[in-house]
Amino acid sequence: MPNRAPQIVALGGGGFSMEKDGSLLDDYVLSLTGAGPFGDASEAVLARSGRPRVCFLPTASGDADHYVVRFYRRFSPACDASHVSLFRRDQGTGGVEDDLASHLLAQDLIYVGGGNVVSMLGAWRAHGLDAILRRAWRRGIVLCGPSAGSLCWFEQALSAFHGAPRVVRGLGLLPYSNCVHYDEEPARRIEYHRFVADRMRPGFAVENGVALHFRGTGLERVVSARADGRAFLVEPVGEHVRETPLEVTDLGAPSTAGREVPAPASPKHARRARREVVAA
Amino acid sequence: MSERQIVEVGERLIFAMGGGGFTMEPANPLLDDFVLSLADVREPRMLFLPTASGDTTTQINAFRARFSERACVPEHLSLFHLRDSSRSLEDTVLAHDIVYVGGGSMRNLLALWRAHGLDRLLVQAWERGTVLAGLSAGAMCWLQGGITRSSGPPEPIAGLSILEGSLTVHADGEPERLPAWLASVRDGTLPGGWALDDGVGLLFRGERPDRAVSSRPGAGAQRVDAIEGELMRKRVDVELLGDGPRAALGGFDEAVEELRRMHRMRRGSTRGRG
Repeated sequence: MPNRAPQIVALGGGGFSMEKDGSLLDDYVLSLTGAGPFGDASEAVLARSGRPRVCFLPTASGDADHYVVRFYRRFSPACDASHVSLFRRDQGTGGVEDDLASHLLAQDLIYVGGGNVVSMLGAWRAHGLDAILRRAWRRGIVLCGPSAGSLCWFEQALSAFHGAPRVVRGLGLLPYSNCVHYDEEPARRIEYHRFVADRMRPGFAVENGVALHFRGTGLERVVSARADGRAFLVEPVGEHVRETPLEVTDLGAPSTAGREVPAPASPKHARRARREVVAA
Repeated sequence: MSERQIVEVGERLIFAMGGGGFTMEPANPLLDDFVLSLADVREPRMLFLPTASGDTTTQINAFRARFSERACVPEHLSLFHLRDSSRSLEDTVLAHDIVYVGGGSMRNLLALWRAHGLDRLLVQAWERGTVLAGLSAGAMCWLQGGITRSSGPPEPIAGLSILEGSLTVHADGEPERLPAWLASVRDGTLPGGWALDDGVGLLFRGERPDRAVSSRPGAGAQRVDAIEGELMRKRVDVELLGDGPRAALGGFDEAVEELRRMHRMRRGSTRGRG
């Protein structure tokens, strides 16, 4: 797939693993491959078979069977779906076992599941998946995922999976920090602000059901599966931390629910709303 | 909780199994009872690490089934579900008398341990007299290296190097491992070491092998070294655990298990471990 810009869709939570109906965020991600209700359906994907190739990486869950099953349930009807299990590479359980690099580099979309980001990055590095994913990104294979599947793409991530929240070094494809599940626990917001005030990179805080869509390293658009979904730019200003709400496109709004293609994307960062929240 | 103190080298124990224990021999508790007997207390606190399997509930349930009725305090630590635990990893690991490591992917096991700093904690635990036990990946990990199928075909992999030498497991149950190991020892990729059949455990006291025990009649072990490119193979004496009738009963169940495994292999879905 030559001449395609690198793209990442980082979900603050949601997608097939969390959304009960529709999984609008998954539809949105699929549209970036040219397929699905939001897609332009004219790209090389359709020239090939009409079915985008989607590979699931459930590493962060320890390759949990139920997660793999839900992935196939969601994606196999419309896609050539596969998964890579780093824990069962020798056991013929249906996952991809041979040449991980050539398989992953032949995908249209790589979908990373949620779970423990520290465990996932450790296992990826041990199998050389970090380098493969970097190549996939440069080639324009769409990368996406919720939670750990979001945190991993950033230079720094706030992991609150166990014990005190801490900063985790991600793959660094996106030169920002990231905090997910922003609406779930108030403690997360306090911790993220504290870290950003203390030299963590500026970055993005994202609620469940909301996704950041990056083209290259620039934020192209913020989309949401629910009307009140929010995402924020969090950056230090002097001794304070400024939290700026980002403009969010509601994928469930009538225009998009009618299966129309979302409005053309702004080439620059999504416009920021005027309202600013300043916290110590 | 009682802090364990650093113990003499001769009191540090590692029990490495070539296969066996509750995940592979549900009807035969001989090796697991032997593990319990290694602790210096009557009701040891025992921590199971199912890391190499991706923390499968299958392994955790098998662990519970085996140890919940025995004289011990069983607990497991899942690195994928740390959310459930409020204690630090350090407090969790160092509070136990036995750490029992399950089989699976050795590459992932070591990567995950390192990512969470567990490799360091396990060495500390060993120095404080916590018995380190495990099978397959959970056995090879303590040595300088072993043979893993973490990426499919058997290949050499480095371990934590707490103990000198290398180890290969399932020498009888997964016949494709042994030649890969022998080749690696011959060409110096791995140092000399031990090949253990399923059901055989090698006990290290300090850094030296102390005794080899087995849960199955006929299961064996060998020591192999390369001397000027030639392999020197020596049989290791193995003590059969338990008494006659129980061993025979275990043997019957193992035969059934073996048959099932052959069926699975024929279907192309071998349950490889390590």
